[in-house]
Amino acid sequence: MEDTLIELRNLVKIYDTGAVKVLGLNQINLKIKRGEFVAIMGQSGSGKSTLMNILGCLDKPSLGNYFLDGEDVAAMDPNTLNKVRNQKIGFVFQSFNLISRMSALKNVEIPMIYAHIRSQKQRSERAAMLLEKVGLSGRIHHQPNEMSGGQRQRVAIARALANEPPLILADEPTGNLDTASSIEIMEMFSALHKAGATVVVVTHEENIAAYTDRMLRFSDGKLISDIKNENPTPVRDLAIFEGMYRGGNHAS
Amino acid sequence: MLLENMKMALSSLRANKLRSILTMLGIIIGIGSVISIVSIGDTMRKMFSDLYKNVGVTQAAIMINPYMDQEEIRDSDFFTMDELYKMKEVFGNRLDYVDNMSSGSIDIKNGLNRLKTNIEGVDSPYQKLQPVQILNGRYISANDVEERRAVILISESTALKLYGTVNATGKHFRSDIMGENREFSIIGVYRKDISPIQKLLMGSNDKNGEGIVPWTLFSPESSEFSMIRYYGKTGMSEQEMKQLNTEIKAYFSKIKNRQPSDWYISSIQDEMKQVDGVMGGISAAVGGIAAISLLVGGIGIMNIMLVSVTERTREIGIRKALGASTGDILVQFLTESALLSALGGLIGVLLAMGLVSLGATAFGLSVVIRPGIILVAVLFSAIVGIFFGIYPANKAAKEDPIVALRYE
Repeated sequence: MEDTLIELRNLVKIYDTGAVKVLGLNQINLKIKRGEFVAIMGQSGSGKSTLMNILGCLDKPSLGNYFLDGEDVAAMDPNTLNKVRNQKIGFVFQSFNLISRMSALKNVEIPMIYAHIRSQKQRSERAAMLLEKVGLSGRIHHQPNEMSGGQRQRVAIARALANEPPLILADEPTGNLDTASSIEIMEMFSALHKAGATVVVVTHEENIAAYTDRMLRFSDGKLISDIKNENPTPVRDLAIFEGMYRGGNHAS
Repeated sequence: MLLENMKMALSSLRANKLRSILTMLGIIIGIGSVISIVSIGDTMRKMFSDLYKNVGVTQAAIMINPYMDQEEIRDSDFFTMDELYKMKEVFGNRLDYVDNMSSGSIDIKNGLNRLKTNIEGVDSPYQKLQPVQILNGRYISANDVEERRAVILISESTALKLYGTVNATGKHFRSDIMGENREFSIIGVYRKDISPIQKLLMGSNDKNGEGIVPWTLFSPESSEFSMIRYYGKTGMSEQEMKQLNTEIKAYFSKIKNRQPSDWYISSIQDEMKQVDGVMGGISAAVGGIAAISLLVGGIGIMNIMLVSVTERTREIGIRKALGASTGDILVQFLTESALLSALGGLIGVLLAMGLVSLGATAFGLSVVIRPGIILVAVLFSAIVGIFFGIYPANKAAKEDPIVALRYE
């Protein structure tokens, strides 16, 4: 298996607003290995959201290459990109982005529905299993508005894991949460990382980035620093996702 | 996946119950009115055809072409009794009945009670073709006809009006008929079952009495008349009846030195076809107008689907981020609009069936609802839903996930 999960080569994103052209990302070169736990940091306007959109295959770069799991995503058409999002990426958003009139279970099933591979029974069994892993076994039939922010974000994590994607992409996952819930969520990402998932967290908060092993700082669309974090914030040793990512390592 | 889409569509329709019902109303009214009108049309057609069946589908009458110039009509164009009997002999094996379709009116007096009574002249086998229910007494006999007896059957209401009882058999009265003053005896009282709507259409006059007499009472041996009425054998096909009509025309052309085209045959079959054509035309025209309300209903669906797409922009963004293709989103919204419309159609057709049955029952008619119409209506409204759902669904499918995810 290829060791590199993400590789960006001279990646450029230009926003053409008509009157002016804005350089969103300026020649980014970057490699993220399988199993890494990475924070993408920067103030608003630094280009981190743009990068997040491109990494998530929601947007395409103007120039350059983006290899995800060995495939050049930059060259793909929108109807292939949706399959990449479905199979390779698990999203966790700041505002949870659960569908409000559906139960937790149904929300977790959505990526599996679009994968068209599992039967209804298999889907709901897997969704229930994932919700159990994130500690929501008693709430699988609750609707998002019947849950706390932390619980909602845990549903979102379960949903992100639905198709067992190699990349977990979290955009300010603790932005709408209180401190206790934030810790809970970051512990879960750590546990995922330990189980072998590649986790990329976009954040502007130092204490959140401190949970990760590697911090990438952006400013004005440029990657200005790439630092290895020797002392990640210690967490309870959660083994909740153990065995989920086969061939997972314990890179530290 | 289709099942999954149906479930999703149902849940989103349930989430906005009132809105869904109001939107469906357009389709309900549209489908409801189309189905009602078509069913009313069919019911009317059935009613007319039943009406003609009562008259006898093999009934026809021959006469000299009524559109012919007055000067061209000769004395010999009228029929005589001899000719009528001759014709009966010649075509006897294919005829059930022949007479000269005579009718008139007489005054019946019972003390101070006096009633103008419309009478119809018939031959004895007429009871088989156009049965009436004999309440008491008997029907006209062959001897009554042959001997031109002054006998009469009167209707139930006539008996009640004149004698205050239905048991009027055996009563006598004197009256003028064909210039003769004769002593009539009442040989029976009958009842004719007709539906209220039939009564309405036939314009039966309740004021006058009704009676049946031997047809020969109107026709002394020397009499001449303008038409001969006949019934082909019961169960004759349309084709056989046509053939018989042609032959009868040819027969009279020969003996009266005329062209076959100089004769006119009025047949129930032709009339039925005409009425059927007219009714069909009316149904189609009114149905077309009703179909416009379907169009309006469809636009209502399009409108609400557009609102729904806008409201659910964020949901669309989420679904796309999670891997939904443009096609998945398109199908999701199309399923929703199709389901919305099909449900409306189903309710509409059931409502229409209920109303039509209710109305028909009130008028004493048997309802005609074409089998399979529920399926057709539901499918058709689903198609309307899909057609009007295409634009909103396409709009949803084309949403940019980044923009949609940020939508508040």
